[in-house]
Amino acid sequence: MTSSHVMKFMMGLYLFIFFTYLFGPLIIMSFTAFNSAEFPAITPWECFTFRWFNEGKIAYDGQHLAGLFTDWRLHDGLISSLIIGGGVVLLAVPIGMAAAIVLTQVKSQLRDIYYSISIMPVLFPGVIIGISTVVLWDRLAGLGGEGFISEIGRNGIFLTILAQTCFISTYCFLIFVARLQRFDQTQEEAALDLGASQTQVFFKILIPYLAPAIASAAVIAFLASFENYNTTVFSILSDQTLTTVIASKVRLGISPALSALALSIIALTIIAAVTYEILRRREEKKYALSQEKYVTEKAATSRIDKDYKVGFKIPKGIVAIILLVILCSYGGTQILKNDLYGQSCIDAADKEKKSKFLDQLQVLEQNELSDEELGGGNLGGNQDYGDIFGDPNLFQDFAF
Amino acid sequence: MNSYFFTQPFFKKNGKAIAIYFLVAIIFWFVFLVIIPQLYMLDLSFRTNVPPLERGGPKDFYTFEHYQHFVFGSKTAQDAFNFVDLGVFGRTILVSIFVTLANLAFCYPIAFYIAKIANPSTARLLIVSLIIPFWINELLRSFALRILFANEGVINNVLTGIGIIDQGILFITYDIGLYTGLIYAYILLMMFPLYNAIESLDVNQIEAAKDLGSSTFRTHWRVVIPHAKPGIVSGCTMVFMLTVGALATPVVLSSPNTLWFPQLIYQWFNMNDNWSRGSAYSIILLIISVIFVLTMMRIFKVRIGEIIK
Repeated sequence: MTSSHVMKFMMGLYLFIFFTYLFGPLIIMSFTAFNSAEFPAITPWECFTFRWFNEGKIAYDGQHLAGLFTDWRLHDGLISSLIIGGGVVLLAVPIGMAAAIVLTQVKSQLRDIYYSISIMPVLFPGVIIGISTVVLWDRLAGLGGEGFISEIGRNGIFLTILAQTCFISTYCFLIFVARLQRFDQTQEEAALDLGASQTQVFFKILIPYLAPAIASAAVIAFLASFENYNTTVFSILSDQTLTTVIASKVRLGISPALSALALSIIALTIIAAVTYEILRRREEKKYALSQEKYVTEKAATSRIDKDYKVGFKIPKGIVAIILLVILCSYGGTQILKNDLYGQSCIDAADKEKKSKFLDQLQVLEQNELSDEELGGGNLGGNQDYGDIFGDPNLFQDFAF
Repeated sequence: MNSYFFTQPFFKKNGKAIAIYFLVAIIFWFVFLVIIPQLYMLDLSFRTNVPPLERGGPKDFYTFEHYQHFVFGSKTAQDAFNFVDLGVFGRTILVSIFVTLANLAFCYPIAFYIAKIANPSTARLLIVSLIIPFWINELLRSFALRILFANEGVINNVLTGIGIIDQGILFITYDIGLYTGLIYAYILLMMFPLYNAIESLDVNQIEAAKDLGSSTFRTHWRVVIPHAKPGIVSGCTMVFMLTVGALATPVVLSSPNTLWFPQLIYQWFNMNDNWSRGSAYSIILLIISVIFVLTMMRIFKVRIGEIIK
């Protein structure tokens, strides 16, 4: 064991701990989405279930815990989040593009100020952007009488689009600035020399060059808008977006339906990331091939002969997928064997909890009775209520 | 006048239609979305809190009332200072600094590893896996930690199950959950500036330092860290700003009896309906943020453009 081995081992250990910290909570949350218990937990494990994705459940004490597909508040929030996301993309991308193009034309002294103003919104705390938009538009709505202004000034969705555009434009701006840095201005000059108008240059040269940046700015803008909470919670007023619905749910009490929602988002994210990675690699390969072709064509004697290896390599990812499939099928059969999945398991668990709940109700009633027997006078809090608060699961279930 | 306006170089260069689009977009953004709302909020923070109908009336005048309330408390209060709000404020700043430093300490080895030690394909894989958790909503990430740290949560259940502790540890009550969540929330914004900065360092410099007999620690202290300075400043600024202004994570993870400063703003604004005071507190938050950025720029001598890349 040399010291470099020790270093390597320590580094590996640290990487492992770090990534456990990043992914551990998310993985555990994903598991809780399949536990039939009302409180998202791994232990005690009740039954394996999909109900948090579907209909939710009516708890043994009669209250309704909505599942993912039956929760209309979540759906309304999702719809307004999508509308806001679309609106922000439509506003922020053109603004960011205009600002970035103008930055290339601004002279040196003004440039610093211009750049500072452009990136300022990112440095403002999100709550402040939300608040300032709301107070301004509330004032404008007040001045505008009963007209159109007062209508939109009190429309949460409109205000949220404006407030989010304020800082999301900066994200777009930065993406465009990065792309424009590599822009070859001689292309524009050539087009102008050949008699193109400025408008033609803009649409035929600049826009096609910026197309990838437009796409990534649109994606980033939509995602940033979709998951924003700090600004939205102020500017949305009486409406609800997905994030504010989630926040109010978390505050009221936590339910496995949220784990189900998170798991769905995680799944979408991973699919998107994998697709993006595959597309990028394909693009890179294409680019590399075209470069190679270019080089070999250029070299007249073609000394740079390159034999293209045609071979079949098994991607390493396959191993992981096979492992996952084996693990899943093993887990699935175990669950079925031990009767941990299905109605019978859930019924049994519910029955047990219901009887526990009834027992405690009885204790409660008995205590109330004895309170009456005391015959007033001593209504203060010095009666012994027994241990009715002893079961912490009892009041968790009231939370929704 | 009009024709003169359109013969300016800006219009000549871009053509009339495109130039108008640029101007409208930029003015709309700078003036209507950035500057006027902030100025109006500043104005509102110096006004009395009156219902909308009495605006502009005799009860609507300029006052320092809200800022005084922040420092000295309400006029009927017993204490000399507003210990509650000042306490929340001080705690928010201190914890944010702590969170920023913790993030820096956690990220530095990883960033260095990905940038300089790992082979390219491993590095790519690590970067992608770093990004994935951060595409998930901040609220849901905090929720995941909440499941772990709740009094009947996974950690407590496991620990009591093994028998290490008899009673659950109150992670949420003592805000351990909150601190962990805040470190978790913005760690990516420390990682990427650091990674970018270290990545641009020439490996030969590290080798040279090693050949000349410098220890690992000394190499980092004298070669890597000075080179990564802009990245460090950028990461620290972003993390500090976001942590000070965080609302989502504290909503989910803070204990019921402590507040995070933006939560205080939220209370004045939405629950107590005192928009002026909410604005005043927001201005205080903004000032602190600006002071922090300027101090960082001054101390480490970097330009604002280097902070946000």
